[in-house]
Amino acid sequence: MNDMTTPLDPPYLYQGYRSTLLRSPKEPLVDLGPGAFDVPGPLVPRGLVRDTDNDLTVAGKSAPLGEKMILVGRLLDAEGRPIRDSLVEIWQANASGRYHHVGDNHDAPLDPNFHGIGRTFTDGEGRYRFVTVKPGCYPWGNHPFAWRPQHIHFSLLGNAPVQRLVTQMYFPGDPLLDIDPIYNSVPDALARKRMICKLVLEHGIENVALGYEFDIVLAGANSTPLGL
Amino acid sequence: MALRTPSQTIGPFFHEALRWRDGGKVAFAEAGTRIVLTGRIVDGGGDPVGDALVESWQRSPKGGTPEGARGTVNPHGFGRVETAKDGTYRIETSMPGGDAPSIDLAIFARGLLKPLRTRVYLASEDKVRAEPAMKPLAGSPRLKTLGATASGASEYRWDVHLQGDGETVFFAF
Repeated sequence: MNDMTTPLDPPYLYQGYRSTLLRSPKEPLVDLGPGAFDVPGPLVPRGLVRDTDNDLTVAGKSAPLGEKMILVGRLLDAEGRPIRDSLVEIWQANASGRYHHVGDNHDAPLDPNFHGIGRTFTDGEGRYRFVTVKPGCYPWGNHPFAWRPQHIHFSLLGNAPVQRLVTQMYFPGDPLLDIDPIYNSVPDALARKRMICKLVLEHGIENVALGYEFDIVLAGANSTPLGL
Repeated sequence: MALRTPSQTIGPFFHEALRWRDGGKVAFAEAGTRIVLTGRIVDGGGDPVGDALVESWQRSPKGGTPEGARGTVNPHGFGRVETAKDGTYRIETSMPGGDAPSIDLAIFARGLLKPLRTRVYLASEDKVRAEPAMKPLAGSPRLKTLGATASGASEYRWDVHLQGDGETVFFAF
């Protein structure tokens, strides 16, 4: 599937997102035929993830600042089948909108108790769960008064190279979504909405944390699920 | 049928989250000829892409699909490295099996709203041109952008041009 047949993914060149101007290829993509990347992918050893890596609130000596939240969801393939035992990696800004990263010089405070990095494996039903805080929004210099909507970055390996996905999860009702070029680079409005999580209070912890749900659907249906 | 989640850029702040210990030292179940694949990624203005993530996936030295990860911290056959500020990357791996050995790469970066997929061949241009998989490029002068240059006994150099003169071939997916 390429740009010509599916408008699902953003184009490489998107005028509103300045960094695409010199990094987008100008030549058409070469099609190697159906299934070229729907082949078995790497098997990630369980040792890559520690049991506590899905709790982003325990990185420091005490709790991080911000709205504590529980984020749960399922990882599915194009047929709606669960993708089991698959690596999920996330990263995000702290509650003030600052990344724990040397390259982030936004003038907002770092939180010594929050690094914003999480990893987990999906379970036997494709489910994952993270404990974190709601990220803040932050300015990014793409255009005057440019601020990114609140978001959490996701990286999924799936079972096959065709399933590899890096995306961002947004929050319902964020007023910055309408003017964010990265979010709006996805041409189809319904596809954009699939990047927004749902508020599901029951996933939270009463009097402790809000609950959100975000299901992720990867490409590829031929990829045979493999277990270690 | 489930509707797929769209791709978004990896952004500039992924490094610590996606950094794997020895991510650039690709292991296999079997012994093989160790090689280094290295090069530079540049943008359409000729400037280095100093904030990219490069992932590699390849056949084992015997030519099979790497399975498992016994005895290593990372998946067999799979590499994950960051580019340095000067746009260079470096992957230590084993020579893949097959007549025209190749390594598949996916490139992620700020300004890439979806990854770029490409493939580097560690073989002569004639052998690459004869590859059944490369049929769509058999008559194209751009095929040579997929060939690495041997440099020394075990090092292969391969630069990636995201845009413009000498633009590397990228694949649809």
